[in-house]
Amino acid sequence: MSITYLEAIREAQAHALRDDPRVFIYGQDVGAFGGAFKATKNLAKEFPGRVIDSPISEDAMVGLAVGAAIEGMRPIIEMQFADFSTVGFNQIVNQAATLFWRTQVPCPITVRLPFGGTSGSGPFHSQSLEAIYAHYPGLVVMTPATVDDAYSMLLEAVAIDDPVIFCEHKFLYYHLKAEKLPSEALPVGKARIAREGRDLTIVAYSAMVHEALEAATELAPEGWEVEVVDLRSVKPLDTDTVMASVARTGRLLCVGEAWPWGGVTAEVIARVTSEGFGLLDVPPQRLNAKDTPVPYHPNLWTAHRPTARAVAAAARKLLRL
Amino acid sequence: MPSIPIIMPQLGESIAEASIINFLVKPGDIVEAGQDLIEVETNKANMNVTSPCRGRVAKITAQLNESYTVGAVLGQIEATQEEVVLAGLDIPTPTKSCDTDHIHAPDVNGGKSRVQPTIRGLPVPANAAGASYLSPRLKARMNELGLHAADLAGVAGSGAAGRVTVEDFERFIAHLEKQKITPASSMRVAVADAMRRSWTRPIAHVGLPVCLEPLFAYRKAARPKPGPALFTLRALAVALAENSAPAGRLVGNKIVHPSAIDIAFAVEAEDGVLVPVIRHADKRSLKELVGPYDELVELARQRKLPPDATGGSIATVTNFGTFGLVWATPIPLPEQSLVLGIGAARRTPSWDAGKGQFVPVMEANLTLSFDHRVIDGGAAGRLLQRVAALMSKPELL
Repeated sequence: MSITYLEAIREAQAHALRDDPRVFIYGQDVGAFGGAFKATKNLAKEFPGRVIDSPISEDAMVGLAVGAAIEGMRPIIEMQFADFSTVGFNQIVNQAATLFWRTQVPCPITVRLPFGGTSGSGPFHSQSLEAIYAHYPGLVVMTPATVDDAYSMLLEAVAIDDPVIFCEHKFLYYHLKAEKLPSEALPVGKARIAREGRDLTIVAYSAMVHEALEAATELAPEGWEVEVVDLRSVKPLDTDTVMASVARTGRLLCVGEAWPWGGVTAEVIARVTSEGFGLLDVPPQRLNAKDTPVPYHPNLWTAHRPTARAVAAAARKLLRL
Repeated sequence: MPSIPIIMPQLGESIAEASIINFLVKPGDIVEAGQDLIEVETNKANMNVTSPCRGRVAKITAQLNESYTVGAVLGQIEATQEEVVLAGLDIPTPTKSCDTDHIHAPDVNGGKSRVQPTIRGLPVPANAAGASYLSPRLKARMNELGLHAADLAGVAGSGAAGRVTVEDFERFIAHLEKQKITPASSMRVAVADAMRRSWTRPIAHVGLPVCLEPLFAYRKAARPKPGPALFTLRALAVALAENSAPAGRLVGNKIVHPSAIDIAFAVEAEDGVLVPVIRHADKRSLKELVGPYDELVELARQRKLPPDATGGSIATVTNFGTFGLVWATPIPLPEQSLVLGIGAARRTPSWDAGKGQFVPVMEANLTLSFDHRVIDGGAAGRLLQRVAALMSKPELL
């Protein structure tokens, strides 16, 4: 048996619905249709009345979820694309994120954002918004890179009392496969060493972990041992694991698919330079998508996002400094 | 038939280029894989460029006595497909050509000179290695081990622009550990620290021979007998009392003037140098100074100097003549701007205009090392002339 990243997300939701009567799924076409990416396939049939089609209004979707959470429910909201979540931005960042701080009433909602680029998807169906949501106090932002993490972190997202932005990468939906569902997981907020090395630390998350791993493999025959840190969640950010890795290697490259201005890669570098300046043997670098809207054309798209080739090239530069 | 380039190999760490000194094969020759083709010279050694595979030398594009960067194409070898595969080579796409890669290329055909960048390919000029830039990590590591930048002087860096990377540093430390290591005495470390701090300033030197005949004449009759170092010290004190500006210190954009003419003198002690101080050396005559001076020398040799007998001085006198030296360029203490040295006395011929002939006189060199930020050669010269003049009238000291 093998299970994809997308199937793991479906299984996690089924698990949550089965285990906890407070859980329900709300989103556009999540019911009989099974969701835009079939992440809720057959769930409406399996859990009658708990997988509910919403109107085409992200604002209304999140608003309803916040209300339900106040009443003690644990809603999972499916955005069709992360890009559209900006329509519900006000409800997420002004209502959900601040609710507990204002009222001491927790807001255990999970907002699933199918995000990131795929070939030909263009500017409205490719965006990476983890940095924007991570900016707001009160939100947890998860960015699983593996089938195991997609499954266990989604369960964790539903279980915790804070609003969680669950960033699931569309590029990984079908490509990424595992033998079986995991039985145990790292706690939320803990990064993972995806590959060990001693010459350079590449910090990445979500789909970029795989580009970084491929780059590390490409650099191995040249004699470089590259360590890859998978952040898993960008908020909370596991600075300790990153710092420990940089202490081993002295070199840091941060890779993110989001745009370069500000963002997670900038945050990681800011923390390492301010708290671990004496660990750095070369100036830390970051590699992001180009600072333009995401292009439609597959060739342009490949040039726009960091690929394994680009990561390896940036790594080589750092290793030779 | 595939054509395989003969490439200038990486000949060693921090070697970025090599010049051609001899061709061992000529076009048309059949060569084996690994056979020596071209003899090259680097700044470290002569080495050979070898054949990447078995084949026929198609052409040699490199020129004799020209310098080529690592990775430059020097010629071509024609080889069969099987040989290429056997040697594990890719069929090359021509990237660099000899023309654009060699350095300082005189255009023998056209006669017109072209401007060429000095170095192509590697960003590191081979001779620019050294600890010019220390990364935060390297600094932290050096602090941990108690090392200073000066300790890296012997390390050739392998990083960009010859910087010493942490890896270079660790290799250096590991290499040191293979050799005999003894702890430096605290005296040695203290002197090293003082000299290193002092050397951050632009130190310049001037010198002057001084006739010691009057001094020896005076000394013959004197009770107690002052030594040459004390003569020099007293003369410097009197000169600085007349004008203390040369002994000032530059701090930021201010000159800090001496508050008292306290002069130190160097005494050799085991594994280092001590510098006891004579306070207000301008206020006491030479005769009065002999007792305290001898006492301080003795205390210094026993390493029993009281705290108030060191530090806070404005200049130092050192008698390097005791080692038989006639010339030296001492380094002032970090908190001082001046050090006055005196060499060994020698009998030298001196022109006597009255007699119209050379006459033997006892002479020694006076040297003055100074912080060039504070005074210039002129002021240093005038101070030294004044000291020499005072020494010629020892009875007035």
